[in-house]
Amino acid sequence: MLEVREDNAAAFEELVLRYQGRLLTVLEHLVGSRDLAEDLTQEVFLRVYRARKTYVASAKFSTWLFTIANNVASNALRSRSRRPEVTLQPRDSGPLGPRPLDVMLQASSGQMPARQLDKAEMRDVVRMALGVLNERQRMAVLLCKFEGMSYADIAQTMELSPQAVKSLLSRARGNLREVLEPYLQHGDPPVVEGREPRTE
Amino acid sequence: MSEAHNNAEASIEEQLVAYLDGELDAETGRRIEGMLASDAQLRRTLQELDRSWELLGELDAPELAETFTQSTLEMVTVAASEDLQQYRAEAPRRRRRQWTIVGGGLLAAGLVGFLVAAWFKPDPNQQLIEDLPLLVNVEQYRQIDDFEFLQMLSREGLFVEEEGDETQ
Repeated sequence: MLEVREDNAAAFEELVLRYQGRLLTVLEHLVGSRDLAEDLTQEVFLRVYRARKTYVASAKFSTWLFTIANNVASNALRSRSRRPEVTLQPRDSGPLGPRPLDVMLQASSGQMPARQLDKAEMRDVVRMALGVLNERQRMAVLLCKFEGMSYADIAQTMELSPQAVKSLLSRARGNLREVLEPYLQHGDPPVVEGREPRTE
Repeated sequence: MSEAHNNAEASIEEQLVAYLDGELDAETGRRIEGMLASDAQLRRTLQELDRSWELLGELDAPELAETFTQSTLEMVTVAASEDLQQYRAEAPRRRRRQWTIVGGGLLAAGLVGFLVAAWFKPDPNQQLIEDLPLLVNVEQYRQIDDFEFLQMLSREGLFVEEEGDETQ
């Protein structure tokens, strides 16, 4: 980033190559739309470029990057919430389209269910569970899970205190457990208003 | 169920999550491990929290199109070029504004300097202006030896009329 600050174009390209996948992963799961996530990823890199002169060497780059991403995504979600639009729909599970979850589940065995779950279907369920969380909980979860950030780094990224992050993640994981546990135990698909998996 | 009970439960769950994330200090970690060793329900909660967390790993990382990087770089290049053009287009106006600020600042500094100088160094002619009536009539005053008589004439308004006449 220091070379980017000195207007090194090759360094900026290297930075985009290194971080675009990570950024897109977090943003896609945060906003629930691939197209929007791609637009936001590009917007984040544009802001990084424009703000390159203000980057302070002592700051951790990934924290700085995801702080920008958090602001960009929050603005996008806020403006989207003003428009009537159904979001975070799970994607189709394959070329034949989605199938009922219970067809995909087999009998559980032992304490830890070891069903041969259809991966795509399971992804839909997890996406749906993630959609249950509010925006801040989702961001904290994604930074913790996919970026492996500490509570202190998440706090810095989201401009919260570490204690607030601790509470936020606790509530988020409690919600995830509540939604996913019936599915893991009995194969019951999560029932989330407006976000049930399509079953035709 | 009381609010205190709910708060305590939330606090324990908060500690369990922090324990799973490796965010507890050693002493609190040992305390949680002690509680887990003696409480089957707590162990179950921990397992469930961990299991649902692990399930997030099923979320796929989106695959990037080969053109994505290129289009990102092009977008930034275009935006940077537009920024530069705008910066150049605004240069004359920016320069005018800078000169206006500098000129205004110098003018204001000069005015302040003048006022400060005038405050600390009064006009030497001021006293002469104030004493002008005396100087004009000094020869007449000298003809009268009695100071008290002069004061009486002053009280009667004699000098005021003379001054008024002179100014006309």
